[in-house]
Amino acid sequence: MMLLCLAAIWLAGFGLVRWMFPQPLRWSLHNVLLFSLAIGTGAGIASSVCFLALMLAGPSVTILESATGAAVVIALALGLFTKRRGTKLEWAEGPQVPWYLIALFVLAAALAVIMFLTAVSYSPHGEEGAWSIWNLKARFLFRAGSFWREAFSSDLSWSHPDYPLLLPALVELCWKVAGQESTDVPIAIAFLFALGTAGVLMSTLGVLRGKVYALIAGTLLLGTASFVALSAALYGDVPLSLYILATLALFCLQDRHPEDPRFTALAGLMAGFTAWTRNEGMIFVVAAIAARAFALVKFGERARVFPQLGRFLTGLAAPLAVVIAFKVRVAGPSGLLSLPASAIVKHVTDVARWIVTLEGLVVVLFTLGRFLIPIVMVLALYWYLVRFQVDARDRVALATAAVTLGLTLLTQLLVDLLYVDNLPLEIATSFERIFLQFWPAALLMFFMASGPLQLIAPKSLKKINKPARRAVETR
Amino acid sequence: LARHQFAVLSIAALALASSLWFFLDVLGTATHNTQTFGVASFENRFNDIRKTVQPHTVYGYASDNLDNDASALAEFHLTQYTLAPAIIEPTPNENLVIVNYHSKDLDMKLLQKYHLQPLESFGNGVELCRGVKQQ
Repeated sequence: MMLLCLAAIWLAGFGLVRWMFPQPLRWSLHNVLLFSLAIGTGAGIASSVCFLALMLAGPSVTILESATGAAVVIALALGLFTKRRGTKLEWAEGPQVPWYLIALFVLAAALAVIMFLTAVSYSPHGEEGAWSIWNLKARFLFRAGSFWREAFSSDLSWSHPDYPLLLPALVELCWKVAGQESTDVPIAIAFLFALGTAGVLMSTLGVLRGKVYALIAGTLLLGTASFVALSAALYGDVPLSLYILATLALFCLQDRHPEDPRFTALAGLMAGFTAWTRNEGMIFVVAAIAARAFALVKFGERARVFPQLGRFLTGLAAPLAVVIAFKVRVAGPSGLLSLPASAIVKHVTDVARWIVTLEGLVVVLFTLGRFLIPIVMVLALYWYLVRFQVDARDRVALATAAVTLGLTLLTQLLVDLLYVDNLPLEIATSFERIFLQFWPAALLMFFMASGPLQLIAPKSLKKINKPARRAVETR
Repeated sequence: LARHQFAVLSIAALALASSLWFFLDVLGTATHNTQTFGVASFENRFNDIRKTVQPHTVYGYASDNLDNDASALAEFHLTQYTLAPAIIEPTPNENLVIVNYHSKDLDMKLLQKYHLQPLESFGNGVELCRGVKQQ
């Protein structure tokens, strides 16, 4: 029943995105992208409806099921009965795909699934940060009945009562529909978000650069051990990474299809769900707006600034309203922001904190992903061998993504520097997670900027003898 | 062609090798660790008292963990996680106090230290006590 509930939520998300980008229902890259985006859309909508029903009508299961059921039916009807035909997304023309690339991707995907299942079977409640924050809130919402607001009591300040509710509300919804608690729900949600992240990354690169780039990026993402481990730890970071990636990917698609403004509206919705997933999402939203305006102005497209920001804000409005309602009417106090000004000044003027932060940054750059060789070095080698060659159509999107991620990272580091007392502990426990939130989006940017690849000799070259072929290849 | 193949293969091979290496680590942990300290075992210990807790109830908490014991805080968090929707305060200064102990028998010195009177034993190192709420 719980898994059926999740499937219905996923289908509702698909209904909404298909309503925006309708194409025939068959196996296609277009629909793979929609199904991947649908995981984030469905989860965001369902948890928002669940929270609103709880806040406005109390913990009645009937009202919750009716509200969620209505949202699912409406979204599905919109998606399935739409008559118009929207923008069609297809594989970009790119280099031929060698067999070994497909084999490596399948191996990486299989290994990621096995690793995820092994980790969650050992720790079905996830790591401490997951059960003490997200699952604890879900339990309060499910078990406390009319006292559900006690999940946000200041007595539980260590459990961050100001954290938004996308994950806890989603888990609570599935438990209430099924009538029982089970660790299967958070595990299935974590799996779906990881799957959706890989799906959005690969299908977007498929549209923008072709199959080869999609497969390399997919292999690298699913082969990032700590990304899979983070997903199996049931934290909110992988869901956040999906929403960050989806927002920036939709900006990229918008620039390839400027005639269809729905991409930006959906980007706004996805950005809104970042703020509904974790507090850092709010920083991302502001950074994305500033970065998009900056990139459009920088590349001489001033005329597109206000129409695009208008669309973005239209998509953003609903999830942002939910976040504001939560913060104003429900959320508990934020421990971070209650720090006195004198302590903040002391933190800023402490040079050792700046040095520790810089050290932490360097260390995480070289240990990110728990690769056997630092991934930055291998990506640098790739760049040396292949070089970058940015398509003129992608410049605005790449600038948007780079500035957004840069601003978000910088702000998060600054918040840590100013507000966190035990900075070494914060660096040890959260720096890699912050970078992994950006990792899928960074991979999208890297492979969008990559120079053209050639992995199979053209047929005309195969016919000539080996020394001559080498001479042609060298030229 | 060779440069491109090398670039792509080095990325993919590194990803796979690192992933496999990490997987062996995960597998080793999952098969060799008996998980004496984990959510599931903790929930089993608290199963009986969990059935009695009501929403909108506040309990105090006391434990025989040493102050510098790294697992002390995690065990307090686990107690809250297990007993939600009751609220567990990290202090023995409440009318009802849950005592989490690890020895075979409850150490009376612990109760005397916090001025607690035993109310009900739930076994498995869990005792409900009456305490004195201090404002």
